[in-house]
This record gives sequence, structure tokens and C-alpha cells, in this order.
Amino acid sequence: MRAACVIVGAAMLGGALPVVAQRSLVVAPVVSLAEHRVDAGFGIERSLGPILGGVGTLPFGSRLTLAVRALGGSLFGSKGVLDRDVGELGVEASVATLPWLSLQAGAGRRAYATKLGRQGWTTVDLGAAARVPFAGGAIHGVWRAALFPVVSVSGLRGPDVAFRAATGLEYRVRTTTLGVEYSLERYDFPAEAGVRRLEQLSGLTLLLELRLR
Amino acid sequence: MRRLAWVVVLAAGASPALAAQGSTAELLGQAHQFYERLEVERALPLLRQIVSPNWPFEVTPDQRVDAYKYLGACLAVAGKRDSAVLYFRAAIERDPFTDLDPSLFTPAQLATFGEARRRTLAVAVRPVQPARVDPRTARVTFTVVATHAALVDVKLSASGAGPPLSLFQGTMDGVREIAWDGLLADRRLAPAGRYTLAVAGRSRITSGSDSARVYFDLRHEVETLEDTVPDLDRGRLLPERISAEAARHDVPKGLGVAAAALLIAGAATGDLGGGERAGAAVVAATAAVTGVVAFRTHRRHGAIPENVAANARRRAERDSANASVRGRNADRIAATLLLVSPAAGKGTGP
Repeated sequence: MRAACVIVGAAMLGGALPVVAQRSLVVAPVVSLAEHRVDAGFGIERSLGPILGGVGTLPFGSRLTLAVRALGGSLFGSKGVLDRDVGELGVEASVATLPWLSLQAGAGRRAYATKLGRQGWTTVDLGAAARVPFAGGAIHGVWRAALFPVVSVSGLRGPDVAFRAATGLEYRVRTTTLGVEYSLERYDFPAEAGVRRLEQLSGLTLLLELRLR
Repeated sequence: MRRLAWVVVLAAGASPALAAQGSTAELLGQAHQFYERLEVERALPLLRQIVSPNWPFEVTPDQRVDAYKYLGACLAVAGKRDSAVLYFRAAIERDPFTDLDPSLFTPAQLATFGEARRRTLAVAVRPVQPARVDPRTARVTFTVVATHAALVDVKLSASGAGPPLSLFQGTMDGVREIAWDGLLADRRLAPAGRYTLAVAGRSRITSGSDSARVYFDLRHEVETLEDTVPDLDRGRLLPERISAEAARHDVPKGLGVAAAALLIAGAATGDLGGGERAGAAVVAATAAVTGVVAFRTHRRHGAIPENVAANARRRAERDSANASVRGRNADRIAATLLLVSPAAGKGTGP
């Protein structure tokens, strides 16, 4: 039900986008090779697979931008590990504080589904992104870091440690930007019955930003 | 009491001049009245007093001309034609615009006056009247006169600059209005400054010649012109080439991204047996190569195409804005109004 609300909300945001298209909307199809690792006391379960989706970014003024993302894919388990599907919807606001630094705040809803069950994640993140130009501004090096002060996982207590780190490059050619990024999310849950659950999602992501007029 | 004494002293000092003018005007008025009552013999002595060198009061040029004119008219009525011609000539020489109104004077007087004009060549220009002229639709007019048929040359010249512009050259007899379009010989709008209008005439009846000149000031009234956009200095343009120092920074930046990718993949995931390290390696290798390639490329070429294009766009915008400004200014200059005002000075002869 909560996931449905998130999806409806995202759809409403998506529906509002054409109304403000004159603000130079940027859309970016995303393809990612993601690896999910979980250690719930029974050894490390590893699954790997592609995730596809898109990100829409809309500037409000010269400093504020709002981004909406929708991603989905399948992660194929290694030996003895169940395959799982993953889907995610999220929004993120970004405020440029310096020419090279912006502060970010976002919220997301992610769901993992296997043939045995489904697990929903709701997260709120706060972080920063540094973008440093080189090669005369045609290329940017990107560093991102964020903490998740709010993580709600169905059937689990919230993690003690939750963060995301990412780095990559953006190559700009006229109105198009090709991005390549390595990212990693890490969640350390508190021990229950002597077992500490660790979970991690990492990925190599390619995205192609297209600036629409 | 002291104030009253000052008023009396000042009044006493001012009264002679006022009285002098009053005396001449009074006497001239009396002479006119005698003339109109055909009491010529009583008018003549009064008029002779006014033109006499012994007349103690001030006589304005117009009063003197009027006195000579009525002396001529009185003598013509009295049948003294030669004397009448003499006085008419005196009036004409002092003011070539002098004329007799046919409705007020007899044919004999008019004929005598005509004889005086034939014997006397005088040319003159009326003082220029203040005017505000749009040269696109109106003209500056000058009034010149020749007392009888004469070859007249009217020339306009800016004081101390350029060759004179000939406004009229030909035969004229009497008063003539001459229009000037505000342009000089080079067909450009006359610049602001002091101008001289010179009239020279050579009689076609006698061998006499005469000349006269007046001066006037010319000013331009132009709507305020816009300034053009200044040149784009270095502060307003983006750097079009990468400096050697900036190029050297590309390598550490690329290595920074590479190091961060490896750090994230390695240090943060040790207890989960690593994580998608191939992806981190791809990003690290790409970043390192990018840094080195960018460094090498910019050391050789160093051009920043985006900035070059942006600067070209800014220059084009500036050029376009300046072209608009120049166009609007040209329209304003084309709508320049000429302000003509009389200047001190009046003369005869070259």
C-alpha cells in the first residue's frame, strides 16, 4: 500500500513535469550493473544483474534542482541464492552552495521481491556532491556521499550505519552528458540474537543526460 | 529720509536720457501730424531739426531714416524734386529696406522715391530672426534687398572654416526671400557655430556696388544619443584556452576519481567479501586515462570549444546591440533641429 502511494506520488510528479518543461528539463536513461550482497548470519548471499530506469531533473532558479528517479531490474543469485527483482522510486532536491559543491536531500522507496516474499525499504538521505571540472569544463569528476538518517525496512529494525558513496565522471558533448559512476550503499543492522545483518548494494552505472528545451 | 534722497538723485540722473528720446519722438510725431494735415511748411523745420548735427537729443537710426523719408516726401509735395531725391537717398542709404506705402503717398512722391532708388545702390540683409527649424521639412529664410536692379551674390560661410556656400547669384530688384536648407556645399548638415551671411551687389544701372553682412549663431538640437555597449574585456569573456597550469591539474583530478572508486570498493566492503570491484576498476581506469589524455590534449591544443562558441555568441550579441544603437542614433541625428539666433555684429563691405 505504501509502495502504491509512492508510485502514485511519483506519477503525479511525472505528470507535472511537462507543465514546466520550459525550465530546461533534463532526462537521463540509466543502465546499471548492480551487485547485492547480504550477510544475515548464513554466509554472504550475492546476486548480480542489470537495472534500468531513468532520472528526470528540473532546475528551479539557478541553484535549486529537483530530480525524480524510477529504476527497476532483476538480480540473479549466485549458487543457492534466490533471484530477486528490485524496483525503486525516489526524489532528490539539490542546492548549489558553491560552484563545485551542492547539498542534497532525498527520499526513496525500494522493494526487493523474491518468489518467497517481498521486502520494502523506505529511506531518507542527506548528503553532498562535489563536481570538479577538468579538461576545460567538458569533463567533470564527481564525488558523492550521503548518510541515511532514516531507513525503514519491513521486518527489520533500522540499521545502525547506513550510507552511500559514489564517484565517477561526466563527459559533456553539447547538450548531452554521458556519465559513468561507481556507487555503493552500505547498511549495518543491529545484532539480533547474536547475529548482525550486513547488506550492501553496489553498481556501475551509465547514464545519458539529454537536455530538453 | 536718506532713501528718499537717493530716489531723487537717481531720478534726476535718469531723466535726461528719457527726455532726449521723448523729445525726438515728440518732435517727429508733431512733424507727422503737420504732414498729414498737409502743413508741409510747418513740418519741414521740425524734420530738419531732427537730422541736424546740432540737434542735442539722441536720434535712433529708425527715427533718422523716418525723418529723411518725410523730409523727402514734404519736399516732393513742395515741388522741390531734387532736394526730395537727396533726402530720399539719404533714407535709402541708411536703410535699404525703406519704402513708401502707395496708399499713404502720392504718385509724385512715389515717382521721386523711385528716382532716388534708381540713383542709389544699396543692398542689405534683415537681421536673422530666432527660429527652430527642422531641415527635413522647413527652411531657414533670409530677407535681402537691392534698391534697384543689380547683380547680387549672397554667400553663407561658417566663421573661419570652409569655403562659402552660394545661396543666390543673379539679378534682383527689391526685396527677396532666400531659403537655406541647412546643408553646406558638401551636402552635410551645417555644424553648430557662428555664420556670416554676406551680400554683395553690383548695379546694372549705375557703376555702383554695395555689400552688407549679418551674423547668426547656429546650434543643433538632438535627442540624447545612446552609448554603445563597450568592448568585451577579459573579465566578460570566458577563457578560450586552457592554461598550462590548469592542464597539469587534470591528472590529479582524474587520479582523485580513480582513488575514490577503489577506496569505496575496497575499504568499505571488506567484511562482505568485497563488492562489484570490477565496476570500481572500470571507473578508476577510465578516470585515470581521462586525466592523462586531457592533460596531453590540452598541452598540445588547449582550446575550449564551448567557451570559444560562448564568446562568439557574446560578441555577436554585442555587435547586434551596437548595430541597433547606431541605427537609433542615426535616426536621432537625422532628426536634428537647427536653432538659429541672431549674433552681435552687422557690417558692410567684405
